Amino acid sequence: MKITTILTLCLSLMLSAGLQANPQTDPLNSVMWDYNRQIFLGNKAEYVFDDRIKVGVPAFAEDPTQVPLDIDATALTGRIERIVSWADLNPIQHIFTYYPHSDVLPKISLRIKVQQATAVRAAVLTTDGVWHIGSSWLEATGGGCTTPSVGNADPYWESHLGETKSRVFKGAQSSRYKFRVIHPMDTGLVGSIPEFFIQQVELRDDSGSALARMELSPPVSENPVITFDLRTTDAQHHLWLRDNNGNEFEKAL
Amino acid sequence: MINKTMRALLNVVLLIWAGQVSALEYQLQPKQIAPDTYLLQGKMQDFSRDNGGNIMNTAFVVTSEGVVVFDTGPSRHYGEAMRQAIAQVTDQPVLHVFNSHQHPDHFLGNQAFADVEIWVLPKTGEQIAQHGSAYAENMYRMVGDWMRATEVRLPTKPLDQPLMQVGDHRFRFYPFTGHTGADLVMVDETTGVMFAADMVFFQRMLTTPHTPGIGTWAKELRELAAIPFKLMVPGHGPVVNDTRAVEQMLSYLEWLDRTLTDSAAQGKSMHEVMQSKLPAALAAINLSRAEFVRSVVHLYPDYEEAAF
Repeated sequence: MKITTILTLCLSLMLSAGLQANPQTDPLNSVMWDYNRQIFLGNKAEYVFDDRIKVGVPAFAEDPTQVPLDIDATALTGRIERIVSWADLNPIQHIFTYYPHSDVLPKISLRIKVQQATAVRAAVLTTDGVWHIGSSWLEATGGGCTTPSVGNADPYWESHLGETKSRVFKGAQSSRYKFRVIHPMDTGLVGSIPEFFIQQVELRDDSGSALARMELSPPVSENPVITFDLRTTDAQHHLWLRDNNGNEFEKAL
Repeated sequence: MINKTMRALLNVVLLIWAGQVSALEYQLQPKQIAPDTYLLQGKMQDFSRDNGGNIMNTAFVVTSEGVVVFDTGPSRHYGEAMRQAIAQVTDQPVLHVFNSHQHPDHFLGNQAFADVEIWVLPKTGEQIAQHGSAYAENMYRMVGDWMRATEVRLPTKPLDQPLMQVGDHRFRFYPFTGHTGADLVMVDETTGVMFAADMVFFQRMLTTPHTPGIGTWAKELRELAAIPFKLMVPGHGPVVNDTRAVEQMLSYLEWLDRTLTDSAAQGKSMHEVMQSKLPAALAAINLSRAEFVRSVVHLYPDYEEAAF
């Protein structure tokens, strides 16, 4: 066989291998993928990029301090252990970790801050030990994490800290809990303003056990607005929050 | 041989580069729309490196005493091009400049009118002093080199009079608030031309980043439509001789209000609201989808708050 023929064969083999989408290749080709993967999933964790994980963000961050983010893993069939969300190029990458109970749909919405255009991720760990990764690209002008919270120019929050409004929206198959809590959610990245943010969110039933548990990081927007979707529509629940200064807030839903 | 090829390549590169440099010209063509009245119509687009920020309408009126300018465009370069365009039409001096409101595409050409009084509503003056430089920075980011040497030149005169006679033209001023909190509408009562600025958009979807509320804007639009005029010059989009533009806006604002109210009542998240489908008549307006998504960010939190 001539050398050129062998070379051509090798080349075509390489090309065809390259054409098959590798489920472990970052579809957004972000420079921070490997670094963040190792931090949030662990070095040896098994993972696949999975189109069933929907990361809903607008194409452009009109307000980099209030970017809507919807994460929906309801298309996954396996039992979900936790969902970790982060923004690759934020100075504080972690947004939240969510532990949904089986009565809760793996679907959540909130608003976040971004410092620049970035990939936004949701990594969903199923009980078989595999992480399913959903991603979206968000364009932004930036500055969301290093801008003082609006509350810093207005002492309103000081007398209303932790004040929560909430409502249950009953649907046919599920119901939605939506709440808004007054909190500056300071990132600690603005001069002379230490980080001050809600760290824990729990949705509890009558007996006090948690149906849904969330750990938040400072990139969650000021005065967070969060929704949880539940399979049941009639049970009574209450919300429990704690910030990094130890303040606890409770609200019946 | 290689040298020759390289030189040919270099020439091509230089030609392309030269082409891009000379492309940074606004090529403003004043269009006469009424006696003594000229329009410089911008493109119905968003800010880009291709259009240099020329997305708004500016205008000037040549009176028997001198020229009255309404808005100065998005950059120093535009302001200078506008002055040349005025000089093509008349030898008269520019006497008065008006900035309609605080948005950057309406006042960043002020540097080209440094020798003239620049009038604004008092609140607009405060808004430009407070936010002007941030707007300018953002414009550099969005349109690039077109902005070269542009800096904020603050307006010089607060406008608190309802009327002004300039030569043979009489101008009446209407202070509105619907678009940005302080929005000047100027009517030339001599010709019947209403310079509505960004209180009115036509065939280009309206923008809401600083509106005090779409209810306020809608109410003021009804008041504005009741003012007698022969020709209405919107801030963005083509000139009309009737209230078509206002009606188009009202139908969008009503749909927007209803959509946001219903969405909040259903507990939708902001991202879910952004997926709403616009009715065909509204979807046909330039940039309707993009501006709707922006408006959800600006307006939805208040609707959510009201629905708790």
